[in-house]
Order: sequence, then C-alpha cells, then structure tokens
Amino acid sequence: MSNDKRQKPVHPLLPPLAGGFILLAGLMLLFTTCQKHGPVDNVPAPTPYRIEIPYGFPTKLNIPVDNPMTVEGIELGRYLFYDGRLSGRTHPDSLMTCASCHRQERSFEAGVDHPDFPGGFPHGITGKPTHHVMLPMINLVWNQNGYGWSGFLYPDNPSEYFRNIEDFVRLAVEAPDEISGDTTRTRDLIQSIPGYPELFKKAFGSDKVTFRNIEKAIAQFVRTLISANSKFDKYMRGEVQLNQSELNGYVLFTTEEGADCFHCHGGFGNPLFTTHLFYNNGKDTVFTDPMDRFQVTGDPADHGAYKVTTLRNIELQGPYMHDGRFATLEEVIDLYSHNLKQSPYVSPLMHHVNDGGIQLTAGEKQDLLSFIKTLRDDDFLTNPAFAKPQSFPDEK
Amino acid sequence: MKKQLPVLVILITGLLILTACNKGSNKDDPGKLNLYFTHLADGSTLEFDTLKYLNAAGNPYLVSEIQYFISDVTVYRDDGTAFLLDSGEDIHYVDTDLPDTWNYALPDDIEPGTYDSISFTFGINEEKNKSQLFVNPPESNMFWPELLNGGYHYMKLNGKWKSAGDTIRPFNFHMGIGQVYDTLTGVITDFVQNYFRVSLPASGFTIEPGKTVSFEVRMDVQQWFENPHVYDLNYWGGKMMQNQAALQTAKENGHNVFSVQKLLLE
Ligand code: HEC
Ligand code: HEC
Ligand SMILES: [Cu+2]
Repeated sequence: MSNDKRQKPVHPLLPPLAGGFILLAGLMLLFTTCQKHGPVDNVPAPTPYRIEIPYGFPTKLNIPVDNPMTVEGIELGRYLFYDGRLSGRTHPDSLMTCASCHRQERSFEAGVDHPDFPGGFPHGITGKPTHHVMLPMINLVWNQNGYGWSGFLYPDNPSEYFRNIEDFVRLAVEAPDEISGDTTRTRDLIQSIPGYPELFKKAFGSDKVTFRNIEKAIAQFVRTLISANSKFDKYMRGEVQLNQSELNGYVLFTTEEGADCFHCHGGFGNPLFTTHLFYNNGKDTVFTDPMDRFQVTGDPADHGAYKVTTLRNIELQGPYMHDGRFATLEEVIDLYSHNLKQSPYVSPLMHHVNDGGIQLTAGEKQDLLSFIKTLRDDDFLTNPAFAKPQSFPDEK
Repeated sequence: MKKQLPVLVILITGLLILTACNKGSNKDDPGKLNLYFTHLADGSTLEFDTLKYLNAAGNPYLVSEIQYFISDVTVYRDDGTAFLLDSGEDIHYVDTDLPDTWNYALPDDIEPGTYDSISFTFGINEEKNKSQLFVNPPESNMFWPELLNGGYHYMKLNGKWKSAGDTIRPFNFHMGIGQVYDTLTGVITDFVQNYFRVSLPASGFTIEPGKTVSFEVRMDVQQWFENPHVYDLNYWGGKMMQNQAALQTAKENGHNVFSVQKLLLE
C-alpha cells in the first residue's frame, strides 16, 4: 500500500467535483468577459515548445494545463534559474538562486565537491541546513507521482499550492533553509531590472511581473532538463555495445536472482531508471524523520519510505540517500549487498533483507558499478541550453 | 481500498446515465460489458499490510499490493460462438493501489442476446507480450527483464510471511515468462509462456439493447496458494521469476482464483 497517497481526505471526490463545476462556470464567464475587452496592445503569441519523446520514454508528460511550454517562457526561466537576484536582494553576499544548489555539472545536485557546501550538504542563505540532501533535476517532466523525497507535491493534491514544480519555486524562495526570501520582494526586484519586463511580456503577454509567472517560467525551464543520451541509451538504441563488465552488471541489475535493482530502479522497459514510487529500502530499524512518506499518506506502512531516485547520472549525485549518509556508490552497493536491516516497514521488494542483502562478490560489485556508470550522460551535463546564460537581461 | 466507495458511486451514476439515455433504444442496439475488480481473502475484502491470513500450507502472511494484467476478454453465446472483445483496450492493468484501474469498461459493442460465459487471459499472450508495448507508467513498471525474454510481468503480488522460526520474510509472487536453464552451464536455452485462460464460472448474462452488463470480478488471494497445489512459501521461498517450477505451480493454481458476481444496479 505504500504508494497510495490518495487515502487522506475522507470524501475526496464529491466536493472537488462540485468545485470543478463552479470553477468551470467561472472560467467561462472569465473568458467571455476577457474577450470583450481584448488585449490593449498586440503582443505576438509565444512560440509553443514541444518536448521530443526519446526512445523508449513515456509519452505522458506532467505539464500543468495552465502552463504550456513556450520558447520564450523557457528562455526567461533559464535567466531566473541562474540569477541570484531571485532572492530579492542585490548585495553580492546575499544573492541566491536555484543554481546555487542545483549545478548542471553535478546533474543539478550540489555534488560532494560543492565549494560552499562541504560534502554536498546544502544550507540556505542564513546557514540553516536543508532538511534532506539534494534531488537531481533530470527528466522531472515524466514524474507523475510526486516531487520531493516524500512526494509531497503531486498533481491531484487537494491543496493547490502543493502540486508541481511551479510550487517548488515558491517554496525554495521562501524557505529559511533555502533562499529565505519573500515573493513580493523578489517580484518587485525582478520588475525593476531592465530587460526582464520585456521578457515577461514576450513569454506571458504582459510586462507586469507576477510571482506566478516567475514560477511558471522557471518550471518550464526545469521541464526541458532531459537526459536520454547515456551509454545505456545508445545501447538501447543499438548504437553501441556494452563491455563485458557492464553487461555482467546489467544482468545483475535486472534479474531477481542477481542484484534485483530493476523492480524499483527501472531498466530497458523503464528508461527513467525510477518508478517514482516510495519505498523503505532497509537502511534502518528506527524511523523518526518527520518528513518521510508517512507524513504524506498517513499509512503506517510508509514509515521510512522515500522516493526511489533515478540512477541516471547517479555517480555525480552524491552524497547518497535522503540524508546523504553515503559519500560513494561503493558504500551504497555494500548496503544492498550486506548491510540491509529488517524492520516491519521494509518493502517486500527487498526480498534479500533476511540475509542482510544480495551477497555480491567483489567482482560482482565492480560489474554492478560499471553498469550503473553507463547511465552517465555527458551531453546532459554539458548541454549549453541548460547552462548559465552568457549575460543577464540587464547586461545586454 | 479507501476509494472504493466513490468509484462505485461514479460507476453507478455512469451506468444510470447510460441506461437513462438509452430509454428509446433500438432492438438491435449493441450493449456493453463492464468488469469491476475486487480482491478478497477468506471471503471478505482483502486487508493490506496486516499479518492476518493463513494460507493452505499454514504460512501466516500479509499482502502489500497486487498488480496484474488481464487481456483478451471473450464472451460465448449459448450456441458456442465466441466473441473476442479486442476492438479497443484489449489488455487491462489492475493495481490495488490505484482505484482508477479497478474498473474495466470494455469499449466493444456486444450484440443483444443471451451469453453463457466470460473468459479472459491472465497475463498477456505471447504475440502481444513484447517489450515497449507500454511506455507509460503504471503499466511500464511491470516490465519483465530483457534477459528473461522481455515483455511484462503478468502479476506482482507482494507481501510477507512468517517463516519457520517466526522470522518475517518478504515474498514476491511475480508471474511472467519462464526460462529453461542448461543444468551444466546455467545458460538459458528456452522460454516458457506462462499466461493462461481463465473461464469464469457462473458468468452467464443477457445483453439488452443499449444496456451495459456489469460484473464484479473477485480475486481470491488464498487460491493462489491452495488449489490444486499447496504453495508453501517455506519451500518455494520469496522469489519465483527465475524458477519455472514455481511459476508452473502458480499458473496451475491460477485457474480458480477468479469468480464473478453480477452487479445489480437497477
Ligand atoms: C539551498 C539549496 C537549494 C536551493 C537554492 C534550491 N533547491 Fe531545489 N532542492 C534542494 C533540496 C535539498 C531538495 C530536496 C528537497 C526534499 O527534501 O525533498 C531540492 C529539491 C528540488 C526539487 C524536487 C526534485 C524531485 O525530483 O522531486 C525541485 C523541482 C527543485 N528542488 C527545484 C528548485 C528550484 C526551481 C529552485 C529555485 C527557485 C530551487 N530548487 C532552489 C535544495 C535547493
Ligand atoms: C524496494 C525498492 C528498491 C530496490 C530493490 C533498490 N532500491 Fe535503490 N533506492 C530505493 C529508494 C526508496 C531509495 C531512496 C532511499 C532514501 O533516500 O532513503 C534508493 C536509493 C538508491 C541510491 C541512492 C540515490 C540517491 O540519489 O541518493 C542508489 C545509488 C541506489 N538506490 C542503488 C540501488 C541498487 C544498485 C540496487 C540494486 C542492488 C537498488 N538500489 C535496489 C529503492 C530501491
Ligand atoms: Cu518481478
């Protein structure tokens, strides 16, 4: 039951349905009203942006209907993602933005070698450490189940402020352990920077900056961060062959009698390398984290459960697990091999738990690691379209 | 589990609307078939994550989730003619965690008349069970490893049992394509298709013009471990994907796990 997050509200369907009708009626009214007045001046409509579905990837995307992707929206989002003034402050010491923590060369995590966050443990601008370590920004547009380690942001959340990447923007700007800012101050500062209002106009039809549009633009950019060109992708497409050690590792990864990682972390039939579901993978016996999956579902079976993370680019995404307890992949493999712990909450999919793990030999561990490293995508890590812009709008 | 009520409400409302709209329907208007999947043990609704069941082998066990495919639903006229209902969604995924998957409204038109019975394939047949048939979750999460012939699990039934010595152990009752291994080299020499047809007992029905007939299809979880073979988890252990003998036993037990109950909505 660990993936049923829908159980919380007692009568979840009927009131929202009624609400939906009212909303619909309201929207229709709005439409008619809006059309009568019409736009004051003519802004050309932004250019729609289409995500190309890579080989074997899902065709269903998680893009909210009220935020369709556009070339102009993404361009604006990229500036904001990299502009430290998103903090609403201009003093060089008080700048902070998404990229302060989410670094492209570390698959949009901080990375163990982050200059400001020793060991890859980030903290906010005030020095307050984040509750968990980072999650990467890879292929997030395919996650339908929930963002954050606990999946607390999900599309059909009754609370409309906790549904998608747009909401993460607000949360990151406000959180004391992240940017520790204020949405109004951010909005006012961005409005005052030459160049930005024009970009908002191109993307959203109005040069009046709103925080909602800041959220939308950044979320659009984040949805373009797609990784689908690792060695394993090329192997799937029949373009390259894996070497013997990688092949051995692939066998281990995807067989029940082997290391059995695929049930949770994917494989050929699930190239996202995660199911985006939530499991307790047997690291502990006592669970006290107030921000695990249990917090979202209230289901006792979800104590100590977290989102299965993608293994794409995983070699760059240390430290590992929600609390960053492992610095290296070798330690992670040792966990699954020998150090698993039994508890009433461990997922049944961890069927080796009673033996302490899958009992790999040194050679098998090496093979498994070689395979996992075929999931590194250098094109993604160096794609100029994802990188910091040459200059910001006011520097042109 | 928790969303069963609203889903039923929607189902019934939908059917009511359907019936209402079809008041003036023609004698030859086709009808529809609707299947609604439920899961039971010991005669009542399955409760998840509680160690309260005892299987035929005497293993105390719990179930965490069940995910499976049924496909190629076929209905039989009293004269023996078979109609394969595959004009639309011919493979249906059921997931005890996802209420949206519990109802299977077959899109096919069904001629009015009397029908003797319903059958379906548990799993997916050889021709269709190929990799990348489903690229979207939740179905894609059912993929079966390439090295084991690819395609999809027929079922994942995950739970835990209390083994000898009172130890709690996880079990993954995962059915799909089996393999034959060379006893000396351990190399796979052949694959075994383990999907099977299920004939639903007492599933006769009459299609009236323009109307939908709805059945509750019940999976009795106990039956997987019981009939004709007693499936002892202490003997077989917690995994089966690479154990054709275990898969064969599960397959033979699968013929009796489903039963139907007509839903009376009027
Ligand atoms: C202080 C460092 C920091 C900053 C700045 C930051 N983040 Fe994060 N981000 C994190 C951490 C830590 C997590 C993991 C959160 C958790 O506990 O679930 C995270 C998680 C996320 C996720 C969830 C990814 C997933 O797979 O579920 C998204 C989306 C995200 N951040 C977007 C942003 C955006 C957009 C910004 C800029 C507005 C931003 N973050 C700024 C540290 C940061
Ligand atoms: C039952 C599902 C399950 C299985 C099976 C499983 N994992 Fe995981 N894995 C998880 C979950 C859940 C997490 C996140 C847990 C946490 O952060 O506390 C995780 C985390 C990881 C991480 C760290 C990710 C990060 O971003 O920090 C790595 C690496 C990893 N697993 C590798 C593997 C390998 C290799 C195997 C096979 C030997 C495997 N996993 C089997 C569920 C699973
Ligand atoms: Cu399996």
